[in-house]
Amino acid sequence: MTRQTQDQHILERYTDQPARLPEELRPQLEAELGGDIRLYALADLDADLRLAETWVALGDASVALARRDAVSGVWATAGFARSTVTAVRETSGLSNGVLTVEGAPGEPPLAVLRYTQRQRRAMENLRFVLDEALGGRSVPTGDADAMYVGGVAGPVREAQALVAGREMTVLRRLLGYLRPYRRQVALGMAAATVITAVSLVPPRLAGYLIDRVVRPVQDGALRLDRAVHVAWLAVAAMALVYLVRQAAAVVRLRLMSVIGEWVTRDLRRELYTHLQRLSLSFFSRKKTGGLITRVTSDTDRLWEFLAFGFVDVSLSLVMLVGLSAVLLTLDWRLGLVMTVPVPLFCWMIFRHGEGMEPLFLRAWRKWSRLTDVLSDTIPGMRVVKAFNQEGRETERFSTRNADVTDEINRVHHVWTTFWPALVLLVHLTTLGVWVFAVPRLLGVDAPGLSAGAFVSFLLYATMFTAPIEVIGQMARIMNRATTSAHRVFEVLDTEPELTDDPHPVRLEPVRGHVVFENVTFGYDGVRQVVRGMSFDVALGEMIGLVGPSGGGKTTVINLVARFYDATGGRVLVDGVDIRRLDSGHYRRQVGIVLQDPYLFHGTVLENIRYGRPEATLTQVIDAARAANAHDFVCKLAHGYDTVVGERGHTLSGGERQRVSIARAILNDPRILILDEATSSVDTETEYEIQEALDRLIRGRTVFAIAHRLSTLRRADRLFVIEDGRIVESGTHEQLLALPSGVYRRLYTLQRELA
Amino acid sequence: MSTVGLAQKTIAQHSGRPEGELRLTRRPDGRLWAERKGEARAVSVRRCFPWSEPARFVSLRDDEEEEFALVADLSDLDGTSRAALEAALAEAGFVFRVTAIREVDEEVEIRGWRVDTVQGPRRFQTRLDDWPRELPGGGILIRDVAGDLYHVPDPQALDRKSRRLLWAFVD
Repeated sequence: MTRQTQDQHILERYTDQPARLPEELRPQLEAELGGDIRLYALADLDADLRLAETWVALGDASVALARRDAVSGVWATAGFARSTVTAVRETSGLSNGVLTVEGAPGEPPLAVLRYTQRQRRAMENLRFVLDEALGGRSVPTGDADAMYVGGVAGPVREAQALVAGREMTVLRRLLGYLRPYRRQVALGMAAATVITAVSLVPPRLAGYLIDRVVRPVQDGALRLDRAVHVAWLAVAAMALVYLVRQAAAVVRLRLMSVIGEWVTRDLRRELYTHLQRLSLSFFSRKKTGGLITRVTSDTDRLWEFLAFGFVDVSLSLVMLVGLSAVLLTLDWRLGLVMTVPVPLFCWMIFRHGEGMEPLFLRAWRKWSRLTDVLSDTIPGMRVVKAFNQEGRETERFSTRNADVTDEINRVHHVWTTFWPALVLLVHLTTLGVWVFAVPRLLGVDAPGLSAGAFVSFLLYATMFTAPIEVIGQMARIMNRATTSAHRVFEVLDTEPELTDDPHPVRLEPVRGHVVFENVTFGYDGVRQVVRGMSFDVALGEMIGLVGPSGGGKTTVINLVARFYDATGGRVLVDGVDIRRLDSGHYRRQVGIVLQDPYLFHGTVLENIRYGRPEATLTQVIDAARAANAHDFVCKLAHGYDTVVGERGHTLSGGERQRVSIARAILNDPRILILDEATSSVDTETEYEIQEALDRLIRGRTVFAIAHRLSTLRRADRLFVIEDGRIVESGTHEQLLALPSGVYRRLYTLQRELA
Repeated sequence: MSTVGLAQKTIAQHSGRPEGELRLTRRPDGRLWAERKGEARAVSVRRCFPWSEPARFVSLRDDEEEEFALVADLSDLDGTSRAALEAALAEAGFVFRVTAIREVDEEVEIRGWRVDTVQGPRRFQTRLDDWPRELPGGGILIRDVAGDLYHVPDPQALDRKSRRLLWAFVD
């Protein structure tokens, strides 16, 4: 399924708005535009802020509007030339936006479009294109239908990447993971069937013993020694039954548990491998915690289902059918008394489960209110104490704590009423069996009933409860499993946005000549973060990137490191389009030092060797020396074997920075990226880091981002990036010489502050 | 005194500017214009307390996002200005007003809602752990995945079925 059809599917399933421009409207709008529709969006509010339908379409030279009359349903179209547009203004209210297209000053606007937040992205696309056109720039727009539907479906897609499939499809896919182990599964199911089948034997045997041995002996119809012989045989048979049953139980429990683990192991491996393939954009969309639970608790829940739920549910069904059949053949009248209420019981349990849902939801909500207090105040304890609000916070917690308890007790109240009541009903049916059976046992009513048949009947009746319970909970079991399976498959079905050429080029080694040829990039929609950027960076040149935040500096280095691919234009490294490179091989030769470097849980040695595990200890020490890290590492009690990272020894920001520089030096990258590498440390540490960096950048192509302009004094050239474009470039002196330059302004400002 | 009350009092004390001379009009260009001491500017409106005090403390902001005036109370304005401001506020404060809840169902990661609103029937989705927010002025506010807001002014006044569907989400 392509992204576009998936988005259309989302719109059809989750909204009441069309998945594309109504067909009957297309020719009318095209006539109004005098050409093709480049982009369109829906303005879904009218002037009175009621839901309405106004389509706005953008052509090369005009803008067309089609408004549906609320009463007659007739379309009224209008339009204006794009050349008459003087300004585009977007204002946003609490839940709406207004796009005003202005014409001549003082005149009424050309169009006022009101819309809900749902249309915001599609509308922003229009505004961006119109805005850029006012600045004399044209923007490639792509497929109009895809842009519209992508904008509207986006928020739902981000909340749930995989459009919820049917429950059965998801379950079937999950069970597909059992296929490699089908022989073991068959064996496990066979063992489970044996358990069910032999469970039916003991009551029958008991009845047989009473009717064919005990009674005949008491009546004198059977010789005692013969009876003793048969009785012992029956005991032996019972022993055999239990032996077989438990042997089968061992097979079933062990096999299904083990297979369940295998499947979840496979799933976890597939998930993790897939996660490693996914592009960075995926990780910026999803919360880390959510992804971790998918790999851990979701797969664990799936184990529960595969090992127990799936087998239990299917066998309980078999058991119920088998029991009913046995009871009905044993004595159809009593059998009916016992079996007719069974569907009722299952239904009651099901309804009970449904009824509990809002209770659980409420309890869950109250629970998260309670944890909110914790996650709020524990990290903010300093503030709580500074304002002397301990009392109020305790009060707030206590109220919510009491709330949660009330809510959960409500849940307890309901289930503790339901289950005993249900068991009472089951007992009532048994009582019904007694009522019908006793007169027949005594011979008052016809047909007569043997004591043995009655006993086996009662024993069978006790076996009903367990499968009824399982079947009643079937919906919940299936629901839990499909939810978890869904969350796992959602990740597996996400395609990496960055794909390598089937015959990638490997630069051995990368030399470091980086060229941007009219590069554009946007994360979503037509809005561009980098707009037509071109530059040529020679081997070994150091480039400083400066400018306001949000201007596109980080995007430029993300493009150089190929974390993203350009949406327009080309990025060339040593004359080769970066998209043709083997991205893994290329990135190994790109070093990155970030503002807040990430160290993995492990020793200092392992962290320095992260990119080159085969490096010798001498090389490691040399790299650490060059990074000014050797001395502080030697001061640590465990030296290079000190465990750092999460839950390890805490290094200061500057120390971590130096370890990460050593890591980069050891990797010997040809292209080096420094993203605010010194901005979060004190002046003295900054000096040490700067010294280390100076050693690191020698002979490499460097892109460095810095807010503190003084740290870029070694840069050969500076690019001032603003609003996705390079607005100034040159050496420090050249830029300072520009009388009203951006760089000059920034530099003077920082000098004044210092 | 509650924090909100305290904040209001402080602002009222500090904003002792005479707002009486402030005049507001809607001009042909469709925008709200504010005029004071001979100075006129096109402004957009922002409520400082959209839920706790919707009729007080409205900030009038120019295109540079700078405050041109702060209207402490709508009753400080003359009739025409007040009407113009109220119209602008209606637009800036737009939220869906829910009149009935037809259906709530859960899916993986999202919860689907089907509601009737003053503006028309609507379907929307929220994240499962995104709970409706209780408003200081009463009622609840639901935010969907796209950022649209749905206001239920008085959950207890809804019909029986709506109340049942909403029960888990309100106290």
